[in-house]
Amino acid sequence: MVVGAGAAGTAAAIEAARAGVQVTLVDENPIGASMMALDVPQFFGRRAIDPLPARDEMLERVAAANSALAEAEEAGVEVQLGTSVWGAFRNSDTSRVLDGPQLGLADAERSWMVKYDRLIVAAGARDLAMSFPGSGMAGVMGANGAHALMRRYRTLTSRRMVVLGSGDLGLNTAAMAQDSGVEVAAVVDVSPSVRGDEVLMSRLRATGVELCMSHTVKEAVGSAGEIESVVLVEIDDCQPVAGTEKVIAADAVCLAIGLVPNVELLGLLGCDLAFASERGGWAPVHDDRMRTSVDAVFVAGDAAGFHDGMVLDAEIARNQGRLAGLAAAESLGAIDRDETLARRSELQAAAVDATSADGHSAWQRWHRSLVNAGGMNVFACPCEEVTRAEIIGLQPPRYLGLGSEQASRRSLRTQARNNPVNADQVKRLTRAGMGHCQGRLCREQVSLLLAEESGADIADIPVMSYRPPVRPLPLRVMWPHDEPEQVRSEWPKWFSPTHRVLG
Amino acid sequence: MDSADVVVIGAGVSGLSSAYRLAKAGRDVVVVDKGIVGGEASGRNGGMVSERVDEPALIPLAVEATRTWETLADELGYPTEFVQQGRLQVAVTEEEMGALHSERDNALRHGLHAEMVDPPEIRDMIPGITERTLGGLFFSKGGHANTQLAVQAFAWALQDLGGRLYQNTAVTGFQVVGDRVTAVETTAGPIAADMVVAAAGPQTGLMAGLVGVHIPVAPARVEILATAPIEPLTSIALVGNGLYGHQAVRGNLIFGGGAHEWADVDLTTTPGKPNTPLIRSIARRLAELLPEVADVPVIRSWAGVVEQAPDYMPIIDILDSPSNYVVVTASAHGFGISPATGKVVSDLVLYGETNIDIGGLGLGRFANVSPNWRHQRGWIPAPNRS
Repeated sequence: MVVGAGAAGTAAAIEAARAGVQVTLVDENPIGASMMALDVPQFFGRRAIDPLPARDEMLERVAAANSALAEAEEAGVEVQLGTSVWGAFRNSDTSRVLDGPQLGLADAERSWMVKYDRLIVAAGARDLAMSFPGSGMAGVMGANGAHALMRRYRTLTSRRMVVLGSGDLGLNTAAMAQDSGVEVAAVVDVSPSVRGDEVLMSRLRATGVELCMSHTVKEAVGSAGEIESVVLVEIDDCQPVAGTEKVIAADAVCLAIGLVPNVELLGLLGCDLAFASERGGWAPVHDDRMRTSVDAVFVAGDAAGFHDGMVLDAEIARNQGRLAGLAAAESLGAIDRDETLARRSELQAAAVDATSADGHSAWQRWHRSLVNAGGMNVFACPCEEVTRAEIIGLQPPRYLGLGSEQASRRSLRTQARNNPVNADQVKRLTRAGMGHCQGRLCREQVSLLLAEESGADIADIPVMSYRPPVRPLPLRVMWPHDEPEQVRSEWPKWFSPTHRVLG
Repeated sequence: MDSADVVVIGAGVSGLSSAYRLAKAGRDVVVVDKGIVGGEASGRNGGMVSERVDEPALIPLAVEATRTWETLADELGYPTEFVQQGRLQVAVTEEEMGALHSERDNALRHGLHAEMVDPPEIRDMIPGITERTLGGLFFSKGGHANTQLAVQAFAWALQDLGGRLYQNTAVTGFQVVGDRVTAVETTAGPIAADMVVAAAGPQTGLMAGLVGVHIPVAPARVEILATAPIEPLTSIALVGNGLYGHQAVRGNLIFGGGAHEWADVDLTTTPGKPNTPLIRSIARRLAELLPEVADVPVIRSWAGVVEQAPDYMPIIDILDSPSNYVVVTASAHGFGISPATGKVVSDLVLYGETNIDIGGLGLGRFANVSPNWRHQRGWIPAPNRS
């Protein structure tokens, strides 16, 4: 099973299939309108045309956007588009009911389970979201969401965009927007100079794009929930300089500060994750054959760790995919040893992991400047509407209306006297991260906030746990049409034991 | 050496409720836990509160607890999200209907607030509930609360009274002189204690083993899920179609149920709590129970490790030896009865007895339970096939 039909996943599937392995490649694209409206799985910013083209047309566009898919099918790969993977299950010390590791899959109508011998997670990366006043309006989006709307679906409705982030991700997004007929008004960064590729920078500058360095966003302004302009402010050491505000008209603001590896499935499977600034934060530990810490589970591409260098060179992700496909095939005994070694040394000779050092220090500077310019009463968790101040104050949800004197004295700092900062505990007390986006829009900014407030290194704040389903899944879709009759008939009353019903 | 009047082992809801009452009575209390406040079953259960009647021995505790919940948030100074709009159990089979009638008879015998309701009344109480209900039993004093907020409320109130909380601190042994524990050994060093309260949940048996006492409890992993928030549907805690749960004040439907799995735990690490594909069957049963919400997405699920005594009932008692060691473990009833548990344990520590009837909850009832009971019953983990 290969999850994700981007560059890495498709390459992995082809490599394994050519070695004689039976391969299924699943990908959730095209995303349906209802998920898109919820910014799942990318930060689409409600800037897709409405209504979307018919589903068949969307499927064709997705297939057309990745020419390697046809190659995969020729190699014998079974390709399933429009199929999301919402769960990954395997036995462990406290869960022994399964007769093998398996994935939960779903399309728009139903869900099913699939067992696998080997799993390659090439699930890509998601947008790093950061809040500022007005960031809840339609038109504020992320780079991968914008890429999908521009290239994969060709459904972006924006006409004038401001791009945040001047690394390769930001510059590439700006260039892609121009190529898609969107006017790029400005590229903004908190850094004093452009961080990304000089050729791209020259091209953007030559086409009249304003490069606003040492600037951050003060607020987005609009009406009827639609963004109309963005207010930038110059910063000095992450502090806004009064009187330097400038207003830029735009119907889209694209956050292209960073991407975060999609590690949800790896988290569910218990793969070791480690915080690596140069690989996009929490990323899976893997060896040079792309094997994770869990037997039979491999990673490739952005999901294995994202850095800016991967934006302009898709060959890095492809090579990782080939290595993972090869290692999976080898572990299944599908390919002989000499052949494997020759192929592996060929692939490893190519650049597969040219990391960049900058990583999350850019996140930290962006976050700090946005906090300084936008204040503490901004929703760091947009779904549950929890402000930065409420998070570090460990305040109970406002709707409980029970603010007491004692509660107002509690904060992250009083809590930190007793134990290290625990993001899951903060989530349960404040609800930050409990919304319908399942934490995609707030995980990183909550962690940055907790690190900043507690003085802890962000790497020392344990990642919020991942739980299934890792995509919002309607009850009627999750409904097990394949449920064994035994599960129905032996469903226990409270605490009558039976653990042989799951199969 | 660090010392306290009382060392409470376990920062779950039973331990913290007990510690809070003891601190309120002026005792110097330390709570130790190998993890964090409410990190295990106490903070991740269904949040159900009621005057239970399916187990008569629980009724005195449950009645006292229900009364205490009503004013608990004000007393502690922190929200518990307690909502007391009743608890409704619905029957979808004739067999379940029969059980409701006998439970109603039980309730009336004990003077509890319970009444049978017919399907039209049920549909008034829970709009959109399945047409398949045959009838229901309504406990007007029942309700639900937010598990994490409530456990944290006890912990903060304890600290406000000067109680100390040592999280990420595991108990490794006891120093015993004669028939008394003199100190609790922890990964943060020993703590001298006049009294020990072991509220160690699934670790109760292992903890008692450190002082040479056999207490039969078996750990098990259970599962639950949450939907995205929806418009207010009901404030009533609901039991039916093989599930239990409620709608949180925020609007999420939180429902659990189904098969559990026997597990093993240890004294120093936190147990893994994975979900299984069982959550799909929970989703189906919820969609059957409330057909009008079938399009609502599930956004989260989780699991917890609870403990069960051989008779599925709590244990609250003082050991014969060491004689200053109080055991409290709730067999998965812990959250709802916790306000009363704290009062009872506090009474036992302070006075050696309590006015609340805990007659059926002593260790004496296990006198004939074999040390090998888990194997005999099959209450052990399946062979590990991973």
